[in-house]
Amino acid sequence: MAREILPVADRKQVRAYARRLTLRYPRQLAIALALHGLAAVAGLVVPWQLGQLVQDLQYGVTVNVAVVAAAIGGFLLLQGALVRFAVLASARLGEKVLAELREEFVDRVLGLPLSTVERAGAGDLITRTSRDVDSLSRTVRHAVPETLIALVTFLITIGALLLVSPLLMLPMLIAGPVIWVSTRWYLQRARDGYLRENAAYADMTEGLAETVEGARAVEALRLQERRRARTDGDIGSSFAAESYTLGLRTRWYPAVELGYVIPVVATVLVGGLFYTNGWVALSQVATATLYAQQLIDPLDRFLMWIDELQVGGASMARLLGVANVPDDRVAGSSQPSGELLEADDVRYAYREGRDVLHGVSLTVRPGERLAMVGPSGAGKSTLGRLLAGIHGPRTGSVTVGGTPLVDLPLDDLRGHVALVTQEHHVFKGTLRDNLLIARPDAADDAVRQALDAVDALAWVLALPQGLETEVGSGGHAVSPAHAQQLALARLVLADPHTLVLDEATSLIDPRAARNLERSLAAVLDGRTVIAIAHRLYTAHDADRVAVVEDGRITELGPHEELVARGGSYAALWTSWHGTPADTHS
Amino acid sequence: MRSLPEADPGVPDIRSPLRYLWWNARRQTPSLLAGIGFATLWWLVQALMPAVLGKGIDAVTAKDSRALVLWASILFGLGLLQAFTGIMRHRMAVYNWLAAAYRTVQVTARQAARLGATLPKRLSTGEVVSVGNSDIAHIGSSMDILLRGVGSVVAIVTVTVILISTSLPLGLLVLFGVPLMAVAVGPLLKPLHRRQARQRELTGDLSTRAADIVAGLRVLRGIGGEQVFAGRYRDGSQQVRRAGVRVAGVESVLEGAQIVLPGLLIAVVTGIGASFAVDGKIPTGQLVSFYLYAVFLIGPLRTLTEMADKLTKGHVAAGRVIRILSMEPDLTGGTGSSAGGVLRDSYSGVTLQPGWLTAVAANAPEDAIAIADRLGRYAEGDVMFGATDLSLLPMEEVRARIVVADNGARLFTGPLRDELDVRGTASDEEVWQALQAACAEDIVEALPDGLSSMVAEAGREFSGGQQQRLRLVRALLADPEVLILVEPTSAVDAHTEARIAERLAKARAGRTTMVCTTSPLVLDRTDHVLYVEGGRVLAEGTHRQLLDDSPAYAATVTRGEG
Repeated sequence: MAREILPVADRKQVRAYARRLTLRYPRQLAIALALHGLAAVAGLVVPWQLGQLVQDLQYGVTVNVAVVAAAIGGFLLLQGALVRFAVLASARLGEKVLAELREEFVDRVLGLPLSTVERAGAGDLITRTSRDVDSLSRTVRHAVPETLIALVTFLITIGALLLVSPLLMLPMLIAGPVIWVSTRWYLQRARDGYLRENAAYADMTEGLAETVEGARAVEALRLQERRRARTDGDIGSSFAAESYTLGLRTRWYPAVELGYVIPVVATVLVGGLFYTNGWVALSQVATATLYAQQLIDPLDRFLMWIDELQVGGASMARLLGVANVPDDRVAGSSQPSGELLEADDVRYAYREGRDVLHGVSLTVRPGERLAMVGPSGAGKSTLGRLLAGIHGPRTGSVTVGGTPLVDLPLDDLRGHVALVTQEHHVFKGTLRDNLLIARPDAADDAVRQALDAVDALAWVLALPQGLETEVGSGGHAVSPAHAQQLALARLVLADPHTLVLDEATSLIDPRAARNLERSLAAVLDGRTVIAIAHRLYTAHDADRVAVVEDGRITELGPHEELVARGGSYAALWTSWHGTPADTHS
Repeated sequence: MRSLPEADPGVPDIRSPLRYLWWNARRQTPSLLAGIGFATLWWLVQALMPAVLGKGIDAVTAKDSRALVLWASILFGLGLLQAFTGIMRHRMAVYNWLAAAYRTVQVTARQAARLGATLPKRLSTGEVVSVGNSDIAHIGSSMDILLRGVGSVVAIVTVTVILISTSLPLGLLVLFGVPLMAVAVGPLLKPLHRRQARQRELTGDLSTRAADIVAGLRVLRGIGGEQVFAGRYRDGSQQVRRAGVRVAGVESVLEGAQIVLPGLLIAVVTGIGASFAVDGKIPTGQLVSFYLYAVFLIGPLRTLTEMADKLTKGHVAAGRVIRILSMEPDLTGGTGSSAGGVLRDSYSGVTLQPGWLTAVAANAPEDAIAIADRLGRYAEGDVMFGATDLSLLPMEEVRARIVVADNGARLFTGPLRDELDVRGTASDEEVWQALQAACAEDIVEALPDGLSSMVAEAGREFSGGQQQRLRLVRALLADPEVLILVEPTSAVDAHTEARIAERLAKARAGRTTMVCTTSPLVLDRTDHVLYVEGGRVLAEGTHRQLLDDSPAYAATVTRGEG
């Protein structure tokens, strides 16, 4: 069920994007790299000094110990200072790029086509926003600079070695194949191994959270034994995944370590031989040996971080993939003439070959209040979304004033038709922020009027900070019923001529809901309202009722007429109301 | 390495955080000792490397080929040994980390299952998330670091002894210099931690903001306001950027200091070594050894700092874990028995006749919930089950015979069929009957793999109404002697509600059932209705009788009609 609904970018896109990102600030990048390079050079001077010292001592050259010590200390001090500025410069750059990366992602999310958002649900997107953004942050903050620095340091050290003695470079080459072959072998398996490891670990911690959060259900249904088995099973899977990657490392690490020690041993050995034959100086042997030793650190850092780069790449692919969702509407040029909403022989399928609407035709007159009732799964909500222009029909057409809804630019569409569902979400921010979404320039009076129209003014004003109260995650808790009122108040502010309300008052206490619908109706007088209703009084109060069953409209007409007709609506009304319908006034 | 998890994690010592960590260490003593052994060996091999390399350089200086080959071979041998001890140390470190983390998951999950309904009352979700997200990792790390930590102490001592045996002043210099270097970066740590905390806080806020946008995306896309949110997110994102740069400000100084401080030591040690070499007290090669010793010491030194940090975090994490582990259930049972029969809550006067479908309609929903909690023994109350006081029955028996199904009861992740038929005893036919009774066949039919589909994320992918119907299926399949349903149809449409009400009576025929509801569609199909006001039964009868006789009841259930 955890479906990957949104696309994932391919390797080429990821590479191109990474390149663009890296080169976006060439000056800062150059400065950071230059500082790191200089720091590496400073670090290389000390072994060279030591090599000179060894040679001088050997040949009895007078050595001023204090000067030597001061020089070593001085260069290390210089290296420390350079590292300080280098780290700061690369962090500045990294944070900047990272900020742009996540901001661009959020922009992409905010631009997703309506139909995708409606269909995909939040699961996949939330994973991308939380886990992938985090994982990419780790990569950009640590893995990218560490590998870059390691690479720079490595190259400079090799360069220094060549300067000292190209001949003594030869022993290094032995290590190359060992490290290359083993690392290739490892990387081919590592990514999948770590992805599996992370997934298993996440399953385990989520399982734990589920047990804790659902503790009452565990007790009520006596699931203790099951949860215990589930926990141990999850741990077993996690251990299997960890053992696999540990197995990979068990083979790779020793090979790499061997690759580190071979150059050091070979340099001493070969260097000694060359020195004996007079091909190289003693200082060269000593310095080269120390450099061989000094190569280990950057190489090791580089190798340790490359699989993290792979993981970051996978996250980036998922973040970029959001941009690959094709736009679901191409704005046409025709302008609606009037407010008449018409559906003509509409069919729609979420999955190919399984239509959920079978040729529905419906004309909603401007200013009319239409209620839609019917069993769940009959297609009411789907029809509601089509009437709101969220999806385009598979065949047939849905038009407003003669123009197909899906041909309207998004901003225009919202000016015509708006949809409010039972999904209530309170955004983090003040109450005022939550309302101004619909109309950022609305004055306080308008906000108050909107709240009053949905019976919410009283409780909002009763809050200590009134409209300034912080709500949403971490703020004042707003009950689901109040959240629905806020959603409706937003709608009043947005003021489109046609509204589709899909169970928009279902969470509000029945008696309050009816009051709300009545006061809302007063404000929305003259607007077209299509209400998908769960409580039958909504239908009773509407101008016309459409009964949707099995993807078709089976009954359509005013409440009294349908009751008199004695069809399925009448049966429902009688049982709901508890009294024969005809005696009701 | 034995396979994990352990079948029985044992009984944790929860007297103090330290004791909890100690208990963990005791549970995995063999692997911990083996790991410490390998880690110590690993460090020692590294500590010996400079000496051998020095000998090698000496041999080069002396143009002594035989000695050169000998020392080079020894160096290579040490390299092999380092690779071997290194990987063994790593394997044991991972194993010890996992063993402690897994054990903590096991004891926490078992405790959560034991506490049941008591847990949510005492613990915020945040605390739980913290256990899963970071505490288990910190406890694992506190075991892992013991390996390298103990080894690094041994390595530092060894190098000091080698240096002292060569030269007392040099040895003493290292002996006091090394801890001094460790302490010297201390003043930087406090501002670093403060800035990191600020950065974490802002990052957390930003993630919340992003999650908030995604969760409310349908609303935003439906009604506009994207630009406002994009702007706000950008502000937050820039704050995080600035906080990150501030962290880097301290971090970079720390990085620099970690080169400069040991650098001073290296310079002094090399200087003294050089003066010895000038005086001919030591061979030239040994000078290289001195330098390499000083460089080598940076490693164990950092490990010591890391150990202090990880043990502290482990201690804090253990404190949170034992807080959960030391909780006790609110209610306990007795040892009595009951033949069953009438279930009666004496405070409200609610009485459930065996085999009846009874409805409780309360003018305040909280009253109905309180009654359900007392009847199901989630709250203390004066309740009789047949001739026995409910509180005298063993808890396990109460849960087996009386099931309270409320809308907070969550679905769990797993194959749908297993999550509905939690005892695993129902036949396919019974499962489909229950699905039909709850009008939930369409949910299953829409799933790609039907009943074998996985329920992901605790059923969050199902709509509210779908979740409610699936919960009802689960409750029906549990098939208890007494089933108490709290608002079982509050999120489904009128058509479906009417069908469920009709089928519920049939599905529970002959069994005792109570439904808390104010929906006339459901009330009309129950055997008996109790109207509760102010927490007590005010009127009873059938739905139709009450509609006629009790105006208060009529007002409550007809929802302001008329």
